[in-house]
Amino acid sequence: MMQAWLILAAALFSLGLFGLLTRRNAVGILLSVELMANAVNVVLVAFGRWHGVADGQVFALFTTAITVAEAAIGLALVILLYRQRQDVLVDAATEMRG
Amino acid sequence: MMAWIAFGIVAATLLVGAFRVVTARNLVHAVLWLGLTLAMTAAGYVLLEATFLAVMQLLLYTGGVLTLMLFGIMLTRRVEGVEVPNEAANRPRAAALALGVFALFTWAILNTPLPPAGPGGAVTAQQIGHSFLTDHLLAFELLSVLLLAVMVGAIAIARTRDHAPAGQGGHRPGRRVLPKVNQKGGAA
Amino acid sequence: MLELTPLQWAQLALWVPLLSAVVLAAVWPLRKAGGPAAGVSLVAATVNLAAAAVLLFGWLNGAEDVRHTAPWLIGGQGLIELGVHLDGVSVSMLLVVAVVAWGVQVFSLGYLADEPKAGFGRYYTWQSLFLFSMNSLVLAPNLLQLFLGWELVGLCSYLLIGYWFTKPSAAKAALKAFWVTKFADMGLLLGLIVLYTHTGGFEWTATTTAATTVTLLFFLAVMGKSAQFPLHIWLPDAMEGPTPVSALLHAATMVAAGVFLVVRAAPLFAQAPLTGEVMTWIGAFTALFAASIAVVQTDIKKVLAYSTCSQLGYMVAALGSGAVLGGYFHLTTHAFFKALLFLAAGGLIHAVHSNEISHMGGLLKKLPVTGWTFIIGALALAGFPGFSGFFSKDLILEGVAHQGQWVPLAMLLVGAFLTAFYMGRVVFIALLGAPSEHAAHAHEGGGSMKLPLLVLAVPALALGFFAGPVAGLWGHEYHFHLGWVGLTASALGLAGIGLSWVMFAKGGAQGLLAAFAPVGALARSGAVDRLWATGYRQGLQVLGGAIAWLDRYVIDALMNLIGYLSLALGDRLRAVQTGNVRDYVYAVVAGLLLLGAWGAMFPG
Repeated sequence: MMQAWLILAAALFSLGLFGLLTRRNAVGILLSVELMANAVNVVLVAFGRWHGVADGQVFALFTTAITVAEAAIGLALVILLYRQRQDVLVDAATEMRG
Repeated sequence: MMAWIAFGIVAATLLVGAFRVVTARNLVHAVLWLGLTLAMTAAGYVLLEATFLAVMQLLLYTGGVLTLMLFGIMLTRRVEGVEVPNEAANRPRAAALALGVFALFTWAILNTPLPPAGPGGAVTAQQIGHSFLTDHLLAFELLSVLLLAVMVGAIAIARTRDHAPAGQGGHRPGRRVLPKVNQKGGAA
Repeated sequence: MLELTPLQWAQLALWVPLLSAVVLAAVWPLRKAGGPAAGVSLVAATVNLAAAAVLLFGWLNGAEDVRHTAPWLIGGQGLIELGVHLDGVSVSMLLVVAVVAWGVQVFSLGYLADEPKAGFGRYYTWQSLFLFSMNSLVLAPNLLQLFLGWELVGLCSYLLIGYWFTKPSAAKAALKAFWVTKFADMGLLLGLIVLYTHTGGFEWTATTTAATTVTLLFFLAVMGKSAQFPLHIWLPDAMEGPTPVSALLHAATMVAAGVFLVVRAAPLFAQAPLTGEVMTWIGAFTALFAASIAVVQTDIKKVLAYSTCSQLGYMVAALGSGAVLGGYFHLTTHAFFKALLFLAAGGLIHAVHSNEISHMGGLLKKLPVTGWTFIIGALALAGFPGFSGFFSKDLILEGVAHQGQWVPLAMLLVGAFLTAFYMGRVVFIALLGAPSEHAAHAHEGGGSMKLPLLVLAVPALALGFFAGPVAGLWGHEYHFHLGWVGLTASALGLAGIGLSWVMFAKGGAQGLLAAFAPVGALARSGAVDRLWATGYRQGLQVLGGAIAWLDRYVIDALMNLIGYLSLALGDRLRAVQTGNVRDYVYAVVAGLLLLGAWGAMFPG
């Protein structure tokens, strides 16, 4: 049962990664990142239950809070990007090219 | 047996939802699929006897993040009523890599002996609160500082800079000039 | 009488002069006061003299050798030590240095009395520093410390020659002395390096297959320090320094350091017959060459300077033929009588304010003490029977004859004749000749200028009779016997004095003067100097050119290549930074997969 939960989390994570690699829209990328963070939370909770301690859920809550913060910052960046380029396509934003 | 059936339902829904999140052409749809996924994760938490966390998941994620994302989409749509562009890039290569990562994780999960299980039983919200304010107090406080910083940062990043200080006509020389956008969306 | 161990006395002799030098260097009001500074230095010199005398007395009574060292550097092949080595050789040299240095410092009180006070203090600071340097050289327990002392006395020599540094000729002479001896000192340094790589130490008792290389390199340094042809060129110029300095450094002690090195490293030199051969020839040639130049000099200090070259040549030739006792004994006697000669010459110069012997004349009547002590020194130098120089020179000639080195022996014998001749010339012109107008108001210096002369006259006169005990100090036996070599040398010496009497006192045989015209021309032309100057310049230019070429076309090219490679690499690597976020994510994931694969392949 434990391993099933872990494999489920791995699948969620891989799907999120797939989205991260394929989305062109910055908001789409944020969605994918949320998915991956969610997968991590599942792992934390599953292990917390396996050990029977509260730490798993505590960490999951930390992660949740940080993910929310990250979403807020990410959206702020998206808005900034939009204001400067009139689109949110990350492929076009290549000013950092060496 | 019941546990497995419940797990199967939750897992199947989760995976379908997640798949749609990353493949849906319409971004608004993708956000809604994300909502489903996050809600099903909350159901998974219930199965894992983490009821407090499940509630939090629904409140924070499904409520907060989803709303945030919808705002993001709406704020960055160029023209009202037009579908948000959401084409995919190089799917086969991304799929190969994602599958590789999945294979690696699965191999690791199956080949790593699990530590001995601890005592069973659900973890109560009281225990979690206790843990926050004793063992993880420092992290808890730091997190509140982080949230404050994020709030300030998000406002600072996203705020419009049209209100330049008085008496500073034009751009300062040497400063990188970014195209200014007025409220109607056209280039200044 | 203080109850101190020999080691403590030696430490006293070493540290008190250093303390004096440091105090005088650091406390500038004291130094600038002049007189008090001289007092400090003189106290140090006196303590040093007392310590040296006590030590020599102990060793004459058969004290045990002392060797005390402290670790200094941990070398790759062992420990490098500094310390004190007391045996007959170092103790006797210590006393020679102490006596001469004390005499010179006392003499300078009168000789330099008219100097500015600051300069006077500076002079005594360097005198103290020199005393410490020379003592550290003499007491060195290994060749490395000897080298350190060697370089320090070279520095003091530079400083003291350039005492009147505002005078361009003095500044130039100081620089020349420094350059020439530094060039030669490379030999000592290289020799030490070779010795160290072969034996892992700096011991003079070492046995090594590289003895010939090492000793030849050492001999280069000896040639520089002890002014052997063709590196003698700096010594006559060094006479630009004050006369007491010439007496101490450039006659008695520092220039003898080269000879002292050979005496110290005698076990090494004994393993290298080739070096001995070279030394015999160069020493004998220098003895003859310098003596013949001395004949035509009119400057009394130049005469004595070339005489010093010549006498050092005798010592080197003796050491080359294995006559260590002769060489070292001559060093000792020469130190006394040449210091005496220089100080007396200083007295004469002080009286007439000129170095030219033609400006002197009849000074014996006006300066009886100075004159008579000068005559004693001259007789000792000429090898007049009974005087100290007679015994030591006899030992040298016997030693060279014993080796069957007939040509060098002949050179040395002719040199002995010339020595007597040129000293006779100086005495008959400057002391006994017709009074010159310059000498009209000449008068003897004060007590401080008489006392050292009288003190030094004693060993110059009588040291020869103590050859037995002195030889015993160095582990040799001495029995006086007058062979045909000694008789010939004495006869030649007397003949030289006689000839000079005929020519310069009686005014006869003036035609002979023409015979020395070519020598005079050679001496005036400075041919040897020019040879060196040209060779030095050409050599340096060729070397510099080669290095410049190497720098431009090899080192710079290497740098340019590295720069070009960096640029090219960067140019290719900048493509990695696409600026596209997705590419970075791909890189992260690829890295994750690689790490995972690595972990899977090498578990644990």
